[in-house]
Amino acid sequence: MRNLRSRSKLILILIAAVGITMVSGSAGVWTFAEEGSGSGLPEGFKKGDLPPLPPAEMIEAGKRVYFTKCVWCHGVDGAGDGPSADRLWPRPRNFNQGTFKIRHTASGELPLFDYRKPTPGQNDLFETVTHGLPGSAMPSWEGILTEEQRLQVLSFVTTQLVKDRRYDDKETETLTMLQLDSIKPIPPSKESIEKGAQLVVDKKCIECHGINGRGDGNAFNLKDDWGFPIQPASWHKCWNFRGSRQDAYNVKNIFRTFSTGVNGTPMPSFADNTTVEERWHIANFVQSLCERDTNGEPLPIDPLTDKPKVNFVIRSGPVEGDIPDDPQHELWQKRERRIVLFGGQITHKPRNFVNRIDDVWVRSIYNNKTIAFMFQWEDRSKSVAEKKLPFQPTEVNLDTYGIKEQPPKTGEPDSIAANQNKYTVYNDAFAFQFPVKWQELPPPEKPRFLWGDEKYHVDITKWSADGSLKAFTGSGWDQDFEDRDDFTEKMKLLKAEWKDGLWTLMIQRPIKGDYDEDTYFEMGKYIPTVFFAWDGHNGDIGRKMAVSAFYYTILEPPIPKETYIYPTLIAVGVVILEGWVLTRRANKKKGKI
Amino acid sequence: MKGLLWIAGLAGAVAVVVLVLMIFGLLPANTVKLVEGYMPMQMLFELAFFVGVFSAISFLLNKSGFPLPRFWQGIAFIAFILMYLKYRVYPPIPFSVRAMYGTVTIVGVFMWMSGNEEDWRKFKQPILNVLDAGTRFHKTLRTGYLIGIPILLWGFSYNSFLPNLDEPIELRTVHPAPPASTKVHGKTFVLQTSQNPYRVNPEGKYDQEYTNAQIVEQGMGRLMKPNANPWDPKAEGYLKYVREGGEIFFQNCHFCHGDNLNGRGLHAFAFNPIPANFTDPGTIAQLQETFIFWRVSKGGIGLPREGFPWASVMPPWEQHLTTDEIWKVVLFEYWHTGYYPRTWD
Repeated sequence: MRNLRSRSKLILILIAAVGITMVSGSAGVWTFAEEGSGSGLPEGFKKGDLPPLPPAEMIEAGKRVYFTKCVWCHGVDGAGDGPSADRLWPRPRNFNQGTFKIRHTASGELPLFDYRKPTPGQNDLFETVTHGLPGSAMPSWEGILTEEQRLQVLSFVTTQLVKDRRYDDKETETLTMLQLDSIKPIPPSKESIEKGAQLVVDKKCIECHGINGRGDGNAFNLKDDWGFPIQPASWHKCWNFRGSRQDAYNVKNIFRTFSTGVNGTPMPSFADNTTVEERWHIANFVQSLCERDTNGEPLPIDPLTDKPKVNFVIRSGPVEGDIPDDPQHELWQKRERRIVLFGGQITHKPRNFVNRIDDVWVRSIYNNKTIAFMFQWEDRSKSVAEKKLPFQPTEVNLDTYGIKEQPPKTGEPDSIAANQNKYTVYNDAFAFQFPVKWQELPPPEKPRFLWGDEKYHVDITKWSADGSLKAFTGSGWDQDFEDRDDFTEKMKLLKAEWKDGLWTLMIQRPIKGDYDEDTYFEMGKYIPTVFFAWDGHNGDIGRKMAVSAFYYTILEPPIPKETYIYPTLIAVGVVILEGWVLTRRANKKKGKI
Repeated sequence: MKGLLWIAGLAGAVAVVVLVLMIFGLLPANTVKLVEGYMPMQMLFELAFFVGVFSAISFLLNKSGFPLPRFWQGIAFIAFILMYLKYRVYPPIPFSVRAMYGTVTIVGVFMWMSGNEEDWRKFKQPILNVLDAGTRFHKTLRTGYLIGIPILLWGFSYNSFLPNLDEPIELRTVHPAPPASTKVHGKTFVLQTSQNPYRVNPEGKYDQEYTNAQIVEQGMGRLMKPNANPWDPKAEGYLKYVREGGEIFFQNCHFCHGDNLNGRGLHAFAFNPIPANFTDPGTIAQLQETFIFWRVSKGGIGLPREGFPWASVMPPWEQHLTTDEIWKVVLFEYWHTGYYPRTWD
């Protein structure tokens, strides 16, 4: 079967090659070039044929799909300027120039698209629509549009909305395909990863992606082909890789992106100056950086969200003696870390549509007097306000100081597109809140996630990159904080360090304080917790921030004695029961005989 | 007939192998896709298929002289159902429900086993054999059970006595009872009598029938009617308002409710409760338009206690949009999902 198919494919290629050769007259240059070496093609690539144009009825059917589903972001003319465009980052694709990011084709070429075959690996645009582009607003359309509808809408986009290029223009268009299926991968051995680690330095990957690959190398000067600011990917969050095809830890996707480049962005193709072997080493290294669990296994990814699965309980573990301030200390490293996911604060003005902090790793330990948290999150820059801020740290309504929400239209002077990477720089900051007197809450009631409410106040701990660590009382989303100076004095900033794109923040606070004002921890109880994060270079200040859902902090109690006693009793009971059954059976048999 | 049985048996064996490989991650979990929205039907269909092919396999084994004892058939079937419920069904069903299904299965299998005297005897024979320990093999097995069962039970009960640090379960009412009226931007709207001012026919009259005829079609893709494109520059009246509502939706709402209004927006992953899925027949399709107007205007913070106002990040949209804009968004949501708003009569 396979043999037959490949033979018919070969015949097809031959026929097409002869046909094209007659038209273009460039005989023999590439007709039989199987592999890149010696043919002028980069290694691992092979010449392909331009696909046929889709028939008119498919294009017409696709138009109907486009104007139901796609127009809202990609715009009437496919210029990536739909109503949603300016509040998105990354922005929706502008189809007009035929510039597409995720491809199997050589740098600058059109992506693979053939309306007849939705085959994985041979139809880039189909795969993009099917799997979406994780880390952006482009969702997976699998299960929403049928395979045929997806091919129809792509027929419309590639023929009507790609305006500057034509898929069938043999004069200007070529198709050079990365032969990803026939190239043998190099296993991610220790040596391969080590070679990759050296190669990303030699090939200057780290100039943009940063020394530790957190996307902090050249975070503020990069622009795409249309002049919109973009930023380099963080290698530690493979689930956000645009080309991950909902298979985040698959090294082949990295190999492909590295081989073909990302059209329209400063990410070039490295096909010309690396061998296939070197590309595997690099891909293996990049893949090895992606976050993993304590056993080194890939994190489970939720297929509905393309993000790591979340556990809403933050467990604080008991330790003896002092709490170490070194993040590498065994007591910290032994603790399981949990991921807290963040969205933009989009409930009250000024809303934050583009939050740059989307997850924070949390660890916690406690001793008999204090509880400590370690937060680690990626931030491409350390942001500290240059001047003294005109407002007090307790103020939350900052619109009178000109902190406003951005209008939704591109081109308006305050729009997100006009401001990205040019915001007034404020302090990076991090905060978390617990309910005050949570013992008295009638379950499941809690103080509101956004700084509590009139009825139930919250205990807010806030750290800012200017070095301040403060305790506040919150009583509503639009109510200024109140200082809790007594408690502020009892808290301790163990560490706040920004290094190579990663903040490490360690905060210690007493387990008990004043019952009426400060959250009072008790062992084994679920304390509702909300986290907040500000990225100073994103213009985050006041309510413009990233926010988490409700999590629970719990002080892990030591294992009680009952846990050992009862199971032993049960086991003894079972042994007695077994004896009884056997005796009965034996007696019965005897009686029968 | 025999050939057919062979095919069914082989297909069943292949299906079981594929399922097992998918469960253990050796094949991608979407090799056999779960079709969104049709999961319950697909589940019943697949189970019926498996029951069918199991019968075929059992028949073939009998024919070829390797009959599988009743006892093991029953055990294998229970194991299969439990595994299927746990690993195949997506989104996962909670343990309590699984336990219920599992109990029903066990009872069912038990009834099947004890259908007649002969079957019942066959079923309990292996158990009695082990109890009597007539052979050396059975003796070893019995000793194994005698030691193994208490140890296993100790382990299970130890695990269940360990302090449970899972997330506490809280039950939230997604669509709580609405108030009789709501005041938005200084104007009072009585929920029973208010109407969407943009649900109009070309004469400008409120007209459900006219507008319902122009919403997108149900079925895969939920595509617009061929002659009812809101983006047509000539679109007037209802369709134009749909487009305007869509523009507002895509500047404000899609971040959570998603590009396809299925609650899977860009920020949705971070929030709990998760954003509402409007394409689900249990949300806006079940509700009056004025209910949506109230929910949108007052947001999460305006919910009664059973709706968890403290946890919902739904904005009170009166802070961001005008009344007209809210009505247009509601209009768009019904257009895009292809549902009719529920009426009071």
